[in-house]
Amino acid sequence: MEEQDKLKILKELLFTEEHEFADSIAQKVDDLAKIVHQKKELSHKVDPIIDDKLEEFVQEIPNTLGPTITETLREEIKNSQDAVVEALFPIIGKMIKKYIAHEMKLLSENISRKTKKAFSFRNWFRRTKAKVQGVSEGDLAIMDYAKPRLIQMFVIEKNSGILIADYSPLSEGTIDKEMVAGMLTAIKSFVEDAFEGGNQNLELIEYELYTIHIQNFYSYYVAAVISGAYTMMFKEVLEDQIIDFAKNNISSKDLENSTLFTKKLKKHFADEIV
Amino acid sequence: MKLSKKVVLLGHFGVGKTSLFRRFMDNEFSEEYKVTLGVQIKKKLIQLPDGRELSMIIWDTEGHSISIEDTRKSYLLGSHAFIYVFDLTREETYATLTKDLEYLKENYIKVPARVLGNKLDLVNEKEIRRQLTEKNIPFDGLTSAKTNKNVESFFLDLAEEITK
Repeated sequence: MEEQDKLKILKELLFTEEHEFADSIAQKVDDLAKIVHQKKELSHKVDPIIDDKLEEFVQEIPNTLGPTITETLREEIKNSQDAVVEALFPIIGKMIKKYIAHEMKLLSENISRKTKKAFSFRNWFRRTKAKVQGVSEGDLAIMDYAKPRLIQMFVIEKNSGILIADYSPLSEGTIDKEMVAGMLTAIKSFVEDAFEGGNQNLELIEYELYTIHIQNFYSYYVAAVISGAYTMMFKEVLEDQIIDFAKNNISSKDLENSTLFTKKLKKHFADEIV
Repeated sequence: MKLSKKVVLLGHFGVGKTSLFRRFMDNEFSEEYKVTLGVQIKKKLIQLPDGRELSMIIWDTEGHSISIEDTRKSYLLGSHAFIYVFDLTREETYATLTKDLEYLKENYIKVPARVLGNKLDLVNEKEIRRQLTEKNIPFDGLTSAKTNKNVESFFLDLAEEITK
């Protein structure tokens, strides 16, 4: 046996345990490499940890980020109050309208119940007609009156009374619209000031066969001149259309661009109103 | 793009706000005095030197008797300029001028206020200028609605100023 072979045997005898240890480490490194390089394996190991941490993070948000977010939002709202109110106005208006519409429906049903009890030839005739046509008696009663019609619509800056846009389905009249806008604003301001109704707004002006429906927004108001019977039903439809128009079409940019605003107004109302 | 500006005429009773208003709007003048009730509004189209056209909407308000604070506040909101008119022949119409201007400056920060001494045809211009300077009364122009002196140029200068 040669010297080198002897040494080898001696090494094997002396380092058996170390060999086994080194082999097990190599095996572990292989396994780890497999985990790290194979997404599925890694995900299996890491996901539960991330999930735990995320859950912890979410639970901690109110304490850690909450005050910062609240402060930032508060600051943003404070700095752009006009823009926030402008955006919220139509939404809040719609919510209030829905509530009022619901209450009005209850009231209407109540009245219908009571009128059903009353008998007259006219009621009997209307009831028969309603049954034949398949519409409610209340609707028919309303249709007995003249149909309302939009004559002109103005969008006016609230404080200055400056005309932002206008639309009329009829031919252009000779009346100066900018002066009308100014005078309407002056009348509105006078009424609102004179009767000291707090923050209440003038909403209706009636003259002979015409009604001016006024709908107030934050920095502007819409005045619609209506001929015929200005019924609750028509008012509802008109209000909804104006709110929808304001909500979907009007931004603070539009308020500064009269030409664009007028185009949008014409487009929206050309086919909408009775 | 359409350009519209609201200008409000302010001042004591009988200083000639409506006369200035009518002179500039319709080139008319009447010796007959009629008190303005509430407000009257008219529009004048002005061609600006840069080619743009301005719709100047002028609000002629009823005169106040003691202080400008008596003027309906809602009439002043959204204004692009104020014209404070006083009567060159009646000292009481500019006695509260400094205080009134301060009030406007405090409550309508961004709105320029221009001061106009009217009824120039009834006084000696050189003498009244000396008196006003002596009394420390600030003014931006002296006009006569009756003779149409300086009226047009004052409004045109204002038109340029508020459209800059």
